[in-house]
Amino acid sequence: MSAVATGTPTRAAAGITLEHVTRRYGAGPGGRIAVDDLSLEIPAGQVCVLVGPSGCGKTTTLKMINRLIAPTSGRVLIDGVDAASRHLVDLRRSIGYVIQHVGLFPHLTVAENVATVPRLLGWSPARQRERTDELLALVGLDPAVDRDRYPARLSGGERQRVGVARALAADPPVLLMDEPFGAVDPIVRARLQDEFLRLQEGLARTIVFVTHDIDEAIKVGDCIAVLGVGGRLAQFGSPAEILAAPASDFVARFVGADRGLKRLSLRLVGDLDLRAASEVRPLPPMAPMLDRSTSLKDALSMLLDAGVQAGAVVDDAGAVTGLVTIDMIAASLRRSAEGAPDAG
Amino acid sequence: MLADQPLLDLGWIGAHAGDIALRTLQHLGLGAMALAVGFAVAFALAMMAAGRPRLLAPLITGAGVVYTIPSLALFAALVPFTGLSLLTAEIPLVLYTQLVLIRGISAGFAAAPPEVLEAADGLGYTRRQRFLAVELPIAIPLIVAAVRLASVSTIGLVMVVTLIGNNFGGLGLYIKEGIASFFPTKVYVGAALSVSLALASDFALARLERRLAPWAESHRDVQPGASAALAGLDPIGA
Repeated sequence: MSAVATGTPTRAAAGITLEHVTRRYGAGPGGRIAVDDLSLEIPAGQVCVLVGPSGCGKTTTLKMINRLIAPTSGRVLIDGVDAASRHLVDLRRSIGYVIQHVGLFPHLTVAENVATVPRLLGWSPARQRERTDELLALVGLDPAVDRDRYPARLSGGERQRVGVARALAADPPVLLMDEPFGAVDPIVRARLQDEFLRLQEGLARTIVFVTHDIDEAIKVGDCIAVLGVGGRLAQFGSPAEILAAPASDFVARFVGADRGLKRLSLRLVGDLDLRAASEVRPLPPMAPMLDRSTSLKDALSMLLDAGVQAGAVVDDAGAVTGLVTIDMIAASLRRSAEGAPDAG
Repeated sequence: MLADQPLLDLGWIGAHAGDIALRTLQHLGLGAMALAVGFAVAFALAMMAAGRPRLLAPLITGAGVVYTIPSLALFAALVPFTGLSLLTAEIPLVLYTQLVLIRGISAGFAAAPPEVLEAADGLGYTRRQRFLAVELPIAIPLIVAAVRLASVSTIGLVMVVTLIGNNFGGLGLYIKEGIASFFPTKVYVGAALSVSLALASDFALARLERRLAPWAESHRDVQPGASAALAGLDPIGA
């Protein structure tokens, strides 16, 4: 993706460590604990999703990283440095921040919105302009057309894109995203998620991503922290680990009874040891054609839908290269459960 | 009024063009001064009360009570204290702007949506930068709307200044003289020019708002003169 290449980071991503972070509102028995003794290690360059039902403290946790909320106790370290020891405004300018309702400045143009942090940092107008155009292209907008528009004239999806561009403007090593795709319709959301993943492939920022949607968490996360009511960490692990071996009934309920299918959505046809094309008998006329980048979940759905046991895997030219069966898909689920570190 | 008097004596208007222009300027000056001072006072009060509803509520109630005092009574009541000075003319004019201005400016300060303020904090604005670069610009459409309303009602009220004497000039003098001498031309000239001044200032402020807040789509449909029509409903302007 050439657009991604232009966004190549000039700074290394930073790891984030939460050490026994607690946030309490009100003292004594009447008080409420929003986040309870949370410790997390988020590796540099990864997307870590905080997911959980409302009131589980995920947004509070996020806001303790850029100190919009102060922890009652515990520490947040960014790249090994205690966030509390940093100058507040400097800290925030070094962390990208995207929120659900975007919060674009209505009185500023798209370009002026994107250039917010560079302007606060005192970049020259020429450099601001160059960076703004680069970022607008990166998030899929046309600088020539969009730079001088006002937010009121943008669609929901365009606003989200501008919000992401604004957060990336000063190339922050860390990005905080609070339900960034929560305010758009499902079709736009899916497209924004795909674009986000493609973008992150090139940027490799450390991203803390809050959502209440487990499907979104599985789709975008390298690691997932499931938080329970009362702000307690219920499980921390990769999407595959959490789906294969939920640590508690709460996590199992939260990820849903269809977690087997969700696990299939993480794997692709190409990951299977396909039966060789030479074994391919003449297929039934209804057999679906799959390609290697089809997820196993979609593949299974297509096989069930067609009422057949096997489908053909075809390459870009349409030539049959292998065979996928329902049994193979089921077997892959068994194998991945055994292979998952937390299984047992 | 005498039956044989024409309603509009064009000859008189032609012969007194200079005098008419002078009184129009005096009228405008009295109104502009009241508006400028009133705006400064209201802006300071609204800033003090920003984010403090317990201060803002009594302030608006107070300004509302002042607003209900009949203008005739207020000018007359000040004479024993400030005599027939400019202060006597300006104090009521300034006081009457306060309700509209404090309410409008406060609403402007509260107009920035919470997510915009959160984004500003999260991106690293200082408190001061956030006020000057985010909250204030977002407040402009509501502030200008309040100033338009205040300007229209103030220009109408300047008429009443004539009650405390002739030395401040203004278009109200024509009304007073026209009634006293049964000369309707003066009444019509005074009234027509006062209305024209109100419409012109409303129009000018609407243009100013478009310059200051080109982003504010929702205010585009408020036509110049709209606040003049609103102020016409206003009891003290009558």
